[in-house]
Amino acid sequence: MRTIPRKPPHPVRDARRDPAWGLRALRFLALALVVLCGQTLLGQALADQPRAGPGQNAVSTNALYADPRQPDISGLWLVTGFFTLSPDRTLPSLKPPYDALYAKRMKAFNAGAPIDDVTANCLPPGMPHIMVVPYPFEIVQTPGRVLLLFEYAGQLRRIYLDGRHPTDDDDPTYYGFSTGHWEGSTLVVQTSRIRADTQDDFSGLPHSDALVITERVRRIDHDTLEDQMTLTDPKAYARPFTVIRRYRLHPTWTIGEYVCEENNRNASGANGVTGFGVPPPPKR
Amino acid sequence: MTFTGKLQSLFAAAIVALGLSAAPATAHHSFAMFDQKRTLVLEGTVTQFQWTNPHVWIEMQVADPSGNSAKWGVECTSVNILKRQGWHHDSLHPGDRVKLVLRPLRDGSHGGQLAKLLEINGQPADLVSYH
Repeated sequence: MRTIPRKPPHPVRDARRDPAWGLRALRFLALALVVLCGQTLLGQALADQPRAGPGQNAVSTNALYADPRQPDISGLWLVTGFFTLSPDRTLPSLKPPYDALYAKRMKAFNAGAPIDDVTANCLPPGMPHIMVVPYPFEIVQTPGRVLLLFEYAGQLRRIYLDGRHPTDDDDPTYYGFSTGHWEGSTLVVQTSRIRADTQDDFSGLPHSDALVITERVRRIDHDTLEDQMTLTDPKAYARPFTVIRRYRLHPTWTIGEYVCEENNRNASGANGVTGFGVPPPPKR
Repeated sequence: MTFTGKLQSLFAAAIVALGLSAAPATAHHSFAMFDQKRTLVLEGTVTQFQWTNPHVWIEMQVADPSGNSAKWGVECTSVNILKRQGWHHDSLHPGDRVKLVLRPLRDGSHGGQLAKLLEINGQPADLVSYH
């Protein structure tokens, strides 16, 4: 039986009758629109960023290291206010023998010969001291972790978001074990297993190995981050001590490298007093 | 309670006596050894400019009024902070004549903490070292 060949569809006349053609055209238009809009939006977003000044590197947009499923606290932040643990310089109520230890450190400090400063020998400041050093840090958010990448001596805090908790196998560390979860737009973090030989700030404020720090971190406005830190230390403090620190966003800054051991000339001597101008170790 | 009050006073005394204010400063160990209540203006020749962390150092030869030359060590803040204040790795070279303001060591030895670099080879420099 002879089959009647079908005429090929006419591009215009038969368009309405060929849904595939119409759909292809629509899809192409939609894609073009999306690409154009996306480029415009990205261009606009980048254009809206403050321009980098001299000595500052290329602009970055926070969207590059935030997690869209979490409230955005990403970016480069620098603490505001004085660099003691509490910006208004109040102290926790220290229990013996921590009160005498602090008094001893303050006396040496006042005499111009500070003692017991672990950072003089390039050991890490640890928690909570790192949260008040006058150097910026970068907050990077991923689905399973919030990471704080500090400029000061390249330090790092790793906050787990997957609900894990420390076990007996987790030894005390400089930055402790941090586990966090979101309550609305507030990140609540619990840090424990902090070494007892770190201090709360440059003044040498002590804590014990029982210290637990609870932080409530939230973005107050676009340029301000707040960290409400409560220090609970049943061995060293008579009652929990809360400080509120604020951090300012610096969108045009980048984190620089800072290797403390590069040329440390403040190493403390055998008496534990911070040095000045000591010759650096010989080059290898 | 009394001891806590005493601690607060000791602490407050440290802050006041050392002239520490809310100005940006390093959370650092070494500023306690400098006289925060007075400054010294030093003129001399740079022998070394150590552009390093944790501190940038200016080693210099300073002539005293009787013509004797002494070696001084001037401690600045970190590379990271200085860069944000406008300093560069080649802001100073050996042989540069500098005029600077520093907070001297409390023990009287030839050293101090840089407050501000005033002049380089006779030209105004206006570079601060926030510490």
